[in-house]
Amino acid sequence: MTESGHWFEAEPLWFKTAVFYEIHIRGFFDGNGDGSGDFRGLTEKLDYLQWLGIDCIWLLPFYKSPLRDGGYDIADFLLIHPDYGVVEDVRDFIEQAHQRGIRVIADIVMNHTSSDHPWFQESRSSPGNPKRDWYVWSDTVHRYEDARIIFVDTETSNWTWDEQAGAYFWHRFFSHQPDLNFDNPEVQDAMLEVLRFWLDLGLDGCRLDAVPYLFERDGTICENLPETHSYLKRVRAEIDANYPDRVLLAEANQWPSDVVDYYGEGDECQMCFHFPVMPRMFMSVRREEAKPMYEILAQTPAIPHNCQWGLFLRNHDELTLEMVTDEERDYMYTEYAKDPRMKINVGIRRRLAPLLDNGRDEIELMHAILFSLPGSPVLYYGDEIAMGDNVYLGDRDGVRTPMQWTGDRNGGFSRADFAQLYAPPLMDPVYGYQAVNVEAQLRTPTSLLRWLRRFIALRKEHPVFGFGTFEPLEPSNPRIFAHVRRYEDDVMLCVHNLARSAQAVELDLSAFEGRHPEEIFGRSRFPAIGQLPYLLTLAPRGFYWFQLVEDAADDG
Amino acid sequence: MGEAERIVAALPEERLHEWVLEQRWFASKAREVAHLGVLEAVTLRERSPALVLALVEARFHTGTHELYQLPLGLRPDDEGWDDRVIAEVEGQTVYDALADPALGRDLLGRLRGSSDVEGEHGSVRFRSVGDDDARAARGELEVRPVGVEQSNSSVVFGDELILKVFRRLEPGVNPELELLRFLSERGFEHIAPLAGWYEYAGRLVNATLGTLQEYLGGAREGWALCLGDLEGFVGHARDLGAVTGRMHACLGSAAGDPDFASEEPSTESLSLLTATVDEEIERMFVDLDYENPVLGPLAGRSLDVRERLQALSHISAGGRVIRTHGDFHLGQTMLTDRGWVILDFEGEPARSLHERRRKRSPLRDVAGMLRSFAYAASAAEQQSGIPAPEGWEDSVRAAFLEGYFEAVDSSLLPHGQEATGKLLSVFELEKAVYELRYELNNRPDWVAIPVAGIERLLDADDEPG
Repeated sequence: MTESGHWFEAEPLWFKTAVFYEIHIRGFFDGNGDGSGDFRGLTEKLDYLQWLGIDCIWLLPFYKSPLRDGGYDIADFLLIHPDYGVVEDVRDFIEQAHQRGIRVIADIVMNHTSSDHPWFQESRSSPGNPKRDWYVWSDTVHRYEDARIIFVDTETSNWTWDEQAGAYFWHRFFSHQPDLNFDNPEVQDAMLEVLRFWLDLGLDGCRLDAVPYLFERDGTICENLPETHSYLKRVRAEIDANYPDRVLLAEANQWPSDVVDYYGEGDECQMCFHFPVMPRMFMSVRREEAKPMYEILAQTPAIPHNCQWGLFLRNHDELTLEMVTDEERDYMYTEYAKDPRMKINVGIRRRLAPLLDNGRDEIELMHAILFSLPGSPVLYYGDEIAMGDNVYLGDRDGVRTPMQWTGDRNGGFSRADFAQLYAPPLMDPVYGYQAVNVEAQLRTPTSLLRWLRRFIALRKEHPVFGFGTFEPLEPSNPRIFAHVRRYEDDVMLCVHNLARSAQAVELDLSAFEGRHPEEIFGRSRFPAIGQLPYLLTLAPRGFYWFQLVEDAADDG
Repeated sequence: MGEAERIVAALPEERLHEWVLEQRWFASKAREVAHLGVLEAVTLRERSPALVLALVEARFHTGTHELYQLPLGLRPDDEGWDDRVIAEVEGQTVYDALADPALGRDLLGRLRGSSDVEGEHGSVRFRSVGDDDARAARGELEVRPVGVEQSNSSVVFGDELILKVFRRLEPGVNPELELLRFLSERGFEHIAPLAGWYEYAGRLVNATLGTLQEYLGGAREGWALCLGDLEGFVGHARDLGAVTGRMHACLGSAAGDPDFASEEPSTESLSLLTATVDEEIERMFVDLDYENPVLGPLAGRSLDVRERLQALSHISAGGRVIRTHGDFHLGQTMLTDRGWVILDFEGEPARSLHERRRKRSPLRDVAGMLRSFAYAASAAEQQSGIPAPEGWEDSVRAAFLEGYFEAVDSSLLPHGQEATGKLLSVFELEKAVYELRYELNNRPDWVAIPVAGIERLLDADDEPG
């Protein structure tokens, strides 16, 4: 019996109905007044997260790091960054979260380390060093030439010359992030050891960052290689044997047909992010047509029953546009990144609310679509209060500004002097902390925060959204996105109007003849379904979720 | 697998299903249950009558599930055992073991022996507390099953001990065990001391299964006492307030124990509370049927109630949050030779365990008791046909609060009378709203009580009492 199992029942599929909440610890709450968020601060805010109703916190990397890539450049996997506290604080935080019924997963970067990592320092020191082969060294840049460059804004090659080593080292991301050499069994073992350390401490799982790039082979694009999958199977076998109810979540920004390989036969990662569906949701809302979403969902293969998609609207990275066509990308840039500063790499660095012009109806509609799709929703901290972004901050820091708790100094994020803060909180008249903060929205019954809490509770009352089928309908009106979710006796009909104008739609619901749609927010009953097409009218950007209720008494 | 476990595993699902659905502690309705199955069966006694502790899972059509504890007895058919029978399997009668004095005694023996019993997936651990030898020495005790409550079943041994068996299991330590241990260790005298407990630990779940406490023979239950003599009860209310205050002072006194240390409420705690209550009010008003004349005083007053709540919440936080009783009312108190004794630290059974373990302002308990006085006034009238004496509720509240404020550690409360009064009113409102929903669904005759409670809060001043 492991420590963290103590507050949960055995439930290997818990992640299938969970609502996740992604937290950048630096930006959440400063518990010790030094200007940076930390574990003690995060622990203080657990009551808020419990109130919101989330099931699992996903933490961005909190390890020792020079922070040249938001902590994804890890300089020691077993230490935490001093700004965030000590390992004991992590343990306390996890225990406190568990006591509230909240699980915790965290990022683990397997593919690479910071160049500051002692492993790399040893590796580069001499060709004879025992750790030389822990990284990928070469005398020439003409290896693995088919691999694309991911960070096109800053990197010109996947190889960088290291003066000290007298060789080129391989890196798929920044040139200060050398890739580990997974062909070396010692590296494979070392990463497993890292996983064990954190799982032993109580983590409920890991998000495996940059997982497609573990291995390199000439003549390939060096992504999604069979060796990567075998290693993941090994990791999963270790988890299944010793760490029940823990989840592996893969970050594989790939097409659905490639991503599903990371589920294996249900013996690799339990969860993968569905990257391509997200830009298409934004596209659908802007174009007022359901087609982009229907198309990508039709291209999404079935997954093993013990697996689940991770779905999100926005996260700590740019809104990635790698998994769209050139034409779609141009469209997205034109519509969502009018200021060139908003673009970064192959994506758009903005938060949810600014992307949707702070439109309340649009924000609600996007959440409704997100919550209705087969998968587990992952919310990004601050989006629940419609926080904005700051495009003048470098890299992706503009979407990682301090959480806005109150209208007080520093937005209630920290008691430190303003100048000490890791980043300025937003202060503009629309999105600034005086206008947008948790306290004000808690006190306003109609606020987005209060609405979202009710919506989360509602979704959790119906496990059909986690376990159920996805059956797209063919609405008569192309501006309507409608589908049915079904699990045992629970049948949900979800209808969303993507248009800025009111719409009518006829749906063929004859398969459900005799059932009554019951709108699940207000429990209003709609007329019984018959053989004829079912007519619905929807408000601009409006949506309905109906439970299709079967009952003996036909009291219409 | 032993013979008894094999028979339990062979229990026909329909029979188990049928029996479980009839039990008061099983809250869900028949059509909701998709499947019932035994997940773990641990043999506690091999010899006939055999005793098997079964953990049974109910799965619901919507995909959720609940876990229950069923201590099962097994006797050969020819003995003709006929009390609380579940099924006949392979010549054995399988029944609720708590109905069988012989098996009750067996459970007690296990508790006193502090033994561990291994099952297939985990173990059942029995623990005894304190000076039990003296009691054991008094020989064979009479075993008597008592009334079933919402979430547990009890067995009384002689007039000395009472075993409470938790039916619905949730992962984690049951607050009843946690609080009894804590208060016993700190020498708080106004409880029935803990004599033992048992728990399950395994891959499936870690959960408290039951607690053994001293039985309070000859004590008078607070609710009955109050109803029997409303006016006389005012004289006891001050003491009850004082005992409540001392209980809170004790619960807030352990700085070093993270499960109990009193804490400063976070900056948004009051807003979280208010937002939660506000939504409960809103939901309740959506469901109200104004055709019902009893609801007349509330008709169209949804906004008034919510505005009242907003006004009450305009206080600076302050005070501390502590572990509380969680479901405090007259029915949880007894008047004994050594004064008031407080029972049932489980918390509100309808709430999840982690919610019940949450630290809160002690005023939430106080509000629970004040609401209980309102119920007593109405119940007395229903019983005797005579209305409570004019001003009775005000006097009993005042007496209780006077005793309470004198005894409690004032640093646990918000600063100043006004803030304390307002926070208390927020909790009373929360409670009354919860009551109204409950009564509408379960006891329509009682609806007028919470309606009057809400009205009172709409019209009241802000000072405590």
